[in-house]
Amino acid sequence: MEAPSWLTAQFLVNAVTIVAVVHIMLISLAYCVYAERKVCSYIQDRIGPNRTGFDFGLPILKPLRGMLGLGQSLADGLKFILKEDYTPNRVDKVLFTLAPGLVIVPALMGFIVIPWGGWVDIPTFSILGMQIQGGIVHVTGANVNIGIVYLLSIASLGVYGVTLGGFASNNKFSFLGGIRATAQMISYEIPLGLMILCVLLTVGTIVPDQIVRHQIEHGWLIFHQPLTALVFFITILAEANRAPFDNAEAEQELVAGYHTEYSAMRMALFLLAEYGHLMTSAAFFALLFLGGYQLLPFMHDPLTSPAAVSVGAVLVKLAVFFGKVFGLIGVAMFVRWTIPRLRFDQIMHGAWQMVIPLSLVLVVSVSVLVYFGATGLLPMLGVNLSIALLFTMLLPLMPRREVNKRLPLYGSRFSPMPGERVSTAPTLALAIEDRPVEGSHATMT
Amino acid sequence: MRCGASPNRRQASRAVPILTAMMLATTDLASYMPLTLIAMMAIGFAVVNIVASLIIGPKRPGARKGQSYESGMNPIGTARKRFNVRFYLIAMVFLVFDVEIIFLYPWASTFPNIAPHPNQEGLVWLIRILFFLLTTVVAYLYGYRKGVFRFD
Repeated sequence: MEAPSWLTAQFLVNAVTIVAVVHIMLISLAYCVYAERKVCSYIQDRIGPNRTGFDFGLPILKPLRGMLGLGQSLADGLKFILKEDYTPNRVDKVLFTLAPGLVIVPALMGFIVIPWGGWVDIPTFSILGMQIQGGIVHVTGANVNIGIVYLLSIASLGVYGVTLGGFASNNKFSFLGGIRATAQMISYEIPLGLMILCVLLTVGTIVPDQIVRHQIEHGWLIFHQPLTALVFFITILAEANRAPFDNAEAEQELVAGYHTEYSAMRMALFLLAEYGHLMTSAAFFALLFLGGYQLLPFMHDPLTSPAAVSVGAVLVKLAVFFGKVFGLIGVAMFVRWTIPRLRFDQIMHGAWQMVIPLSLVLVVSVSVLVYFGATGLLPMLGVNLSIALLFTMLLPLMPRREVNKRLPLYGSRFSPMPGERVSTAPTLALAIEDRPVEGSHATMT
Repeated sequence: MRCGASPNRRQASRAVPILTAMMLATTDLASYMPLTLIAMMAIGFAVVNIVASLIIGPKRPGARKGQSYESGMNPIGTARKRFNVRFYLIAMVFLVFDVEIIFLYPWASTFPNIAPHPNQEGLVWLIRILFFLLTTVVAYLYGYRKGVFRFD
């Protein structure tokens, strides 16, 4: 029997990779929540989740009790399914149900063009009587020739779900959170694209596997362009709505932002999508700047070189790649719990008046360097560091902004000026109208 | 370790010519086939989760419970109202920059191959793209002077 034309060894390896990586991702997404709580707890001098084991309350399974709270993710997942999935009365019901799906689907689709394991040698074999030609094939989700562009386009689809979630809730907090998230995500998408442009200019291709092989030959790009890597890391934090850029769900201002009205699994999908975006972005960072699946920079070890095509080497490369991804997620967690949240105007100011001009300067500098053929380690590093130094020296000379200054408390409602009469009495208890009720001020004071 | 490395070296000599052949073979449409697989998996995951949660969970609706949650206060009016025009302006300026970046991608992936210094064509392409960036900088400065980027 003749095999259909699409059923090649490449397709089978792609399918196996997709299934494996999706499962690794989903399980580690659940445990990211646990790790986040643990990291947060230790930073804040607490212990964090430490009771929930795998004993399910059964006396037989008593040895599985405790276990550092590792059962917490399982318990959370069960609870998310078993809780009431409530739809408030005034929401747009179709969009309200559609929005979590629109968030989670791009978060799960982006990673497949990442070259997780380099190449593998498949012998010729037959299944169901169909002969499958062997050969050396990519270990990646989809071996498409538009790799980086696909990743970028899928990553920017995530903004639709967030916007729709905020809009459909018909809640002012959700709406503000959704619109803030949209503005922030599209603003930081520009420096993200420009930073990828810097890498593409150095490498000269958009095929992910060739980017990795360029770095294996010439050294990791984080050593060539440290400033580019730093700006890229900042933008992926902002793209994933992570602290210090989590203004979309600032608890003190907006309850929970765009998922205020959500409950049960639909809310869990929003949370999973946040970590999914973070994980895809971390894999993106590892691909562009940290040499992909190579173990150590500037060393041609035989096991993680592109020429190692045995199954064992592929597993080692997969482990190295995921090690880098989890390391970057750990860095993002430390950043989240050590740096306080920025104000919204500071975020937008940072995007449009600091990061975007800096990215434009970086792109121009890299393209001029590429024209003069100076793509070695020293010239690129020198130019990157001198641009960083220049911007650091220029920053104090920029005009100070005259907005959002800290106001003294003196003269406010709670500490009046001398001779001023103010009232701290509550306004009308049941506010039902969207306009000031006439005469209410006079009657209450 | 040493004996483990030797079969890899033997395969490496065999692998290199095939690598270039496979790289050329990635332009066909069949390589997009796994995208349908991952799309089905992702959509299936979303649909199964949402539907399962809607079916399994209890249903206890109520008039008070159905209100929008606005920190315990009774909601005032609807949320479908006018919002700050700055968000709209940001979206407009984003379009300018995003379209520009999309145009730069094909250039960025081919420029290093035609770039090296004495090449006249490389210089022409560098100057063209720098002029293209300059037009965007003009748009940026216009927006800056108009106060689009002031979020106070």
